[in-house]
Amino acid sequence: MTTIERVESSTGQEDEIAVTIVDTDVHPLPVSADVLMSYAPAEWVDKIWPTGNAVAPVPHFYDTPDSYKTMSLRLDAAPPNGGIAGSDPDFAAKQLLLDAGVSIATLEPMCDAHLPQAEHVLKSTYNDWLADVWLDKYNWHGRWRGSISVSAQTPEQAAREVERWAGHPYMAQVLMTPQTRGIPFGNPHFDPLYEAAARNGFPVATHLMGQTPFELIPLYPVGNPAHWHDFFASWPLLYVSHLMSLVFDGAFDRHPDLRVVFVEGGFTWAMPVMSRMDRIWEARRGDLPHVRRRPSEYVREHVRFTTQPLEDTDTVGFREYLEMMDLGDNLMFSTDYPHWSYDSPTYAINRFPAEQRERIMRGNATALYGLPATVKALPGER
Amino acid sequence: MTPIIDANVQPHFRYNAEIRRYLPDAHKLRSIPDVEQQWYQAPGGDYRQDLYGENYPGSDPETVSRHLFSQGVDYAILNPLTRGNIADYLLNSRICAAVNDWLLDRWLEPDSTNRFRGTMRVNPEDPKGAVAEIERLATHPKLVQVGVPMQSREPYGKPMFEPIWEAAAAHGLPVAVHINGGNGVDHPPTFAGHAHTYPGYAAFMPLNYFVHLATLIVEGVFGRHPRLKFVFADGGYDILTPLMWRLDTFWLSMRDQTPWVDRYPSEYLPGHVRFCSSAFDGPVDAGKMQRWMDFTGKSDLLMYGSSYPHWSTSTPGVMAEGLDGPQRDKVLWRNASELYGLAVRESAL
Amino acid sequence: MVQQVPTRRFVCSLDELPPGGMKLVDVGKFGVGVYNVHGALYAIVNYCSHEGAPLCLGLIGGTNESAPQSPDRMRRVRDGQIVRCPWHNWEYDVTTGQNVADPRRRVRTYQVDVSDGEVYLTA
Repeated sequence: MTTIERVESSTGQEDEIAVTIVDTDVHPLPVSADVLMSYAPAEWVDKIWPTGNAVAPVPHFYDTPDSYKTMSLRLDAAPPNGGIAGSDPDFAAKQLLLDAGVSIATLEPMCDAHLPQAEHVLKSTYNDWLADVWLDKYNWHGRWRGSISVSAQTPEQAAREVERWAGHPYMAQVLMTPQTRGIPFGNPHFDPLYEAAARNGFPVATHLMGQTPFELIPLYPVGNPAHWHDFFASWPLLYVSHLMSLVFDGAFDRHPDLRVVFVEGGFTWAMPVMSRMDRIWEARRGDLPHVRRRPSEYVREHVRFTTQPLEDTDTVGFREYLEMMDLGDNLMFSTDYPHWSYDSPTYAINRFPAEQRERIMRGNATALYGLPATVKALPGER
Repeated sequence: MTPIIDANVQPHFRYNAEIRRYLPDAHKLRSIPDVEQQWYQAPGGDYRQDLYGENYPGSDPETVSRHLFSQGVDYAILNPLTRGNIADYLLNSRICAAVNDWLLDRWLEPDSTNRFRGTMRVNPEDPKGAVAEIERLATHPKLVQVGVPMQSREPYGKPMFEPIWEAAAAHGLPVAVHINGGNGVDHPPTFAGHAHTYPGYAAFMPLNYFVHLATLIVEGVFGRHPRLKFVFADGGYDILTPLMWRLDTFWLSMRDQTPWVDRYPSEYLPGHVRFCSSAFDGPVDAGKMQRWMDFTGKSDLLMYGSSYPHWSTSTPGVMAEGLDGPQRDKVLWRNASELYGLAVRESAL
Repeated sequence: MVQQVPTRRFVCSLDELPPGGMKLVDVGKFGVGVYNVHGALYAIVNYCSHEGAPLCLGLIGGTNESAPQSPDRMRRVRDGQIVRCPWHNWEYDVTTGQNVADPRRRVRTYQVDVSDGEVYLTA
């Protein structure tokens, strides 16, 4: 393991730097299956890891470029002392916090299991591992934040899991898959989870969880594309579906303090979707007695979007579009480190209209997650 | 007065049994979904309240003619619904042929105004039958496009459908994709499953066009058929900009898996893609309309479509609100005039 | 910005840079990667024109071109001369510096020569 030298602080003051960039999507991995399993209840180990191999690369039915070699990771993010990219907290700190200039990063592990109870136990195990390794042992600098992973299949147990972590100094949000086996986010099925999350001040974030088990392969309404290219270009429509359900099924009315974060699903679609929802709501108010407000208002108040992957279109037009969209309070910068489609902070900041930059790079995430204004500097960082 | 071409009108049968007159004897006793059947029906009826009367809304050519042509519409493209992707694909093809024969018999051939044009419906689940139907009707001067449903268990870029698009393109016929009626064996309509509200369904359903479009590009269908044009007739074109940006961006990464895509995906749009407008598209703030339409060159792609007699029937004035002069012309008639080869009155030019 | 005057620099002996290999030279702000492509030598800047990734840390190999007559409609070509950015996997031809998909997007190339079995880069 690489180690970043802990800076011994005498006075404390001179070790602090201003928070300028918050990264709202980083993927940590356990360094080995054994390490992860050590956090699981003994009686579940054989059930969840029958092959004894929790961190082996999963099949990519839609595979990313050269994935046999890259495994969807940045080739330059492999830790020099061994292990898979994202498994070494100190090397991640070096590349992301020191080299890329990120001040605080939100960690989002990815895991799934086929059966509900097993998935709940697996997610809880990840929470214990994350809290112990990334949020404690390797967090002397306090710059990692974590996600409370919960199973979409077990909302009551998910609520109890949220309670278990309430008050933890570094857990910042709840994390759930958007691949919810045909149950859209606005469905009352999720109410126990939303109630607990909102009450404890945790936003509920969602992120693609992968292509196994079987039922997590997203089946698109008009059938599936053959390549990752058009599969992932269409992926935002899953978030659109969930957002429309949250609005039209009244989830935001039932949970006024709920905040939802859509991760890695784009955000420029929010403008046409907001106006589409507004027009239909205006025309069909009678069908929606439980939806008291204009849909776009719910989006502005309740929803956040992370920015990666940024679209590669002309800068001037892109900034103009973002100005028109006027969601400068709802976007949060992200890198997706250590995945291959990583956005660098220096590239990203230039993509946004000047007057939205500070909010997108820092302010919105700081407000949402209650982050501090300064953090401890790493050695060599100023 | 600006010419107006209404590129999306749904004519209906007068009553359920009417379709059986056009079905071959072998199928006359089969169960067929009713005229008004939809998996997700709008509460209070799918059609304009004022049009429900003795017969089904949109079922009387004279009434439709009065409602459209007397209001300044020069041409109306009729795109009839069929009865869904029912399991028996051969019966479905016979239903399509019956609808086509009815359209000719009741709407197009007796039309003395010469302002109605029509869509020949085919069943993509029966590619041989679809090609045969195109060959049967392609030379009819009043049938200006081929029609297929939005609903499908496979996206239209997949290889099993290509002979259909090839036949359409060979005859210079655009292919119009429109949400179908009836009760098909379909996947849930949203990416997250079934909607629990009608607005939750209606807001999302048209956006599924993007997966058809993306596969037509990425599988190389547009590349192999330079003359092929698709019309996405239920609107949803606003989301074209963000999603095409995404498709363009990932092309640079993914090109080696589909190397026949030899240009940015968005470069296929002008030559291959058109949209009909809907009541749910466009910015709520009309002041943004001009700039909105410039992104992704949408004003070259869009054609006015009223969706008459749907409850959301729109009018040209409302649809064109906020557009500048050239954009108005393109959207209200010029794009459709070029696509369908429709000459507009000289006095209006 | 201070421009460095290009100078001819010793990189390594040719034996140390066999075909298929790459040597990263610490010159300029980002470095330069020197490639041996089947015996011919090329150099590109170690900076992807997309988001600034260390381009030369990416896989070097070939790419696919369209071949309508073959069953999978493609064939492998340009073996050994295409580098894929380690971030977004954009493909660049090291012999020209051009992006394969969009040749208008390019990275800077540099002169490499071999003299007496020694590799020299002018950068």
